[in-house]
Amino acid sequence: MTEKELFTVVGIRPEPPAPKKKVKRLKGFPWISGILLALILLCCLFAELLMTKEPGYLDLQNFNVAPNGEFLFGTDTLGRDIFSGIWYGGRISLTIGFLATLISTLIAVVYGSVSGIAPGWLDALMMRFTEIFLSIPGLLMVLFLQAILGQANVLSLSVVIGVTGWASIAKVVRTEVRQIRNSEYVVASKCMGGKFPHILRKHLAPNFIASIMFMVVMNVRGAIGSESTLSFMGMGLPLEIISWGSMLSLSEKALLTDSWWIIIIPGAFLVTLLMCLTNIGNYLRKSANRKESNL
Amino acid sequence: MSEILLDVQHLTHVFRLDKHAVIKAVDDVSFQMKKGEILGLVGESGSGKSTVARCIMNVYKPTGGKILYRDIDIGDKAQLRKHRKMLESLRQIIFQDSTSSLNQRMTVADIIAEPMSIHRMRPARGSLRAEAEFQLSYVGMDASYLDKYPTELSGGQRQRVAIARALSMEPELLVADEPIASLDVSIQAQIINLLRHCNREHGCSILFIAHDLSMVEYLCDRVGVMYRGRLVEIAPTAELYANPRHPYTKALLSAIPIPDPIAERSRKRIDFDEVSFDRDGVLTRIAADHFVLMQEEV
Repeated sequence: MTEKELFTVVGIRPEPPAPKKKVKRLKGFPWISGILLALILLCCLFAELLMTKEPGYLDLQNFNVAPNGEFLFGTDTLGRDIFSGIWYGGRISLTIGFLATLISTLIAVVYGSVSGIAPGWLDALMMRFTEIFLSIPGLLMVLFLQAILGQANVLSLSVVIGVTGWASIAKVVRTEVRQIRNSEYVVASKCMGGKFPHILRKHLAPNFIASIMFMVVMNVRGAIGSESTLSFMGMGLPLEIISWGSMLSLSEKALLTDSWWIIIIPGAFLVTLLMCLTNIGNYLRKSANRKESNL
Repeated sequence: MSEILLDVQHLTHVFRLDKHAVIKAVDDVSFQMKKGEILGLVGESGSGKSTVARCIMNVYKPTGGKILYRDIDIGDKAQLRKHRKMLESLRQIIFQDSTSSLNQRMTVADIIAEPMSIHRMRPARGSLRAEAEFQLSYVGMDASYLDKYPTELSGGQRQRVAIARALSMEPELLVADEPIASLDVSIQAQIINLLRHCNREHGCSILFIAHDLSMVEYLCDRVGVMYRGRLVEIAPTAELYANPRHPYTKALLSAIPIPDPIAERSRKRIDFDEVSFDRDGVLTRIAADHFVLMQEEV
C-alpha cells in the first residue's frame, strides 16, 4: 500500500479531474499604445545607437535649422540636434517619471497600510493629514521643496516630485487594507502565526495592487508632466541637462523665430507618451474592476 | 484519553458597542477537553459559540476568565510569547464561510502550504507543492486542483481546502467553527467523515461547533449546549440526547426532525420560554459527567 492509499478517507467521493482552464488574458489591451510606449522606451534605452549627433554639442553654425537630411528633426536655438536630443532626453524624462513614482508608491504603500491597520484615532489622524496634504496644490509644493533643495538635478527633482505625489495612492491603499484586514483569511493567517510583513506581502498587497496599478501608471504620467512643466518654467532641470521638459523650455524663443519644430517635436513625443500611459492606465483600471467572481 | 488538553475556566467576553451599550457574548463558560476527544458545542445563532472558539484561538482577548492549553495560560502575555510557535502550529481553526477564509488571489497550493511556509517547516515530502498535493488527496481532491483559485471551486471543495490547510500542520486541537453550516447534505457527510477520520486515525482533538443537532450526535463524544452566552448543559452525547435536563436543551432536542413520517407527525415541539431563562445559575454536576446550569440549592 502506498502512502496515498493509507491515508484515504473512507466515504469520500473522488472528485473528477478538474478541466483545464482556458487562459484568457489581455482582453481589450490597448495594443497601439503598448507598442508605441515600448518603441519609445526601447529607443530611449538604446539612444546611443540612434543618435546621429552628440546631443549636448552646441553647433553654433547650424542653429535654428529646420528638419533636413542631416538634422532629422532640426536644431534648436543653441544649435543642438533635436533628433539626438529626443532619445537622449527621453531617458532623463522617463527616469524621473519612474523614480518619482517608485518613491511615491513606496511611501503610499507603507503609509496606507499603517493607517489601514492602525486603531481608529490614529487612522483618522493620518487620513486628515493626507487631506491637508492633498489640499495644497502639488505644483506649489514642488516649487517650494525645490527651492529649499537648491539647483535641480535628476535625483532631487525625482525626490521632490515623489514625496509630493503619494497622498492619493495612500488613501486607496488604506481603504483596501481596512476592508481586508478583518476578513477571515487574514484572521486565519494570524492564527497560523503570520506576522505583519507576511500578511502585507501575501494577503494585503495582492489585493490592493490591482486597484492602485491605475494610479501608479497615472503617477508616472504626472511625474513626467511635472518635470516638463517645471523645466518649461525654468525651475526644473537646467538647459545643459537635456530632457523633454528642458527642450521645451526653449520654445518661447522659438516662437519668436517661427521655428515650429523646436516646440512641436518634443511636445509631440511628450503627448504621445502621456497618452500611451493614460490608455494603459485605463485598461488596468477596467481590468481591476472586472475582477471575476462567481461567489 | 484522560489527559486534559484544554481547560476553559469562567471565560467571559464582552463586546463594547459604544460608551453605553455592551454585549455579553460569552458569560462565565467553563469546560474541559480531553486529548483525542470530539467536543460539540451547539446553540442558536448569537449564543456565543464562535466567540468561545475565537477566544481559544487568541483572536479575541477574553474579558475575564482563563484558558489553559496544556497548562499554558494563553491569556498571559509572557507565557503566550514563550510558547507562541508551539501553540500556533498545534491549534488550527476552520471557519464557517470558506469563501472568506481563503484568499481569492492565492492558488490552492499556496493556500495549503501557507502555514508551513510561515513556520518555515521543512516539508516531509520534498517540496511544499508535494506536501500540498498530499494534503489535498487526503481530503479527496486530486492534484489538478493545485493551480486553481478558490473562486473556481465549489463550496464543498473550498471547505475541504480549508481543512487541508488546517491539517497540514498536523494539529493537536482543531477548532471547527460551523464547518458544515453552508454545505449541502451529501458534502456535509463527507466533511464529517473526514473530521472523524482525523480524530480516529491521528488522534486530533476537535472542538466542533454546529447547530445541526443530528450531525453533532453522530460525530461528538460530548456535547455542550450554549444559550445567550451561557453554557447551560454539558454531558456525554448519549447521555445528553437520552436525558436532557435543562429546559433549553429539551426544547432544542425536541426540534430535531425524525426521519420517519409517522413518528414525525406525533413529534411534539417543546417551546422554550425565554423569560424563564435564569442567567445566574451555577453549572451543577448531576451525574458522572453531566453538568446542568441550575439555581444553587441552599
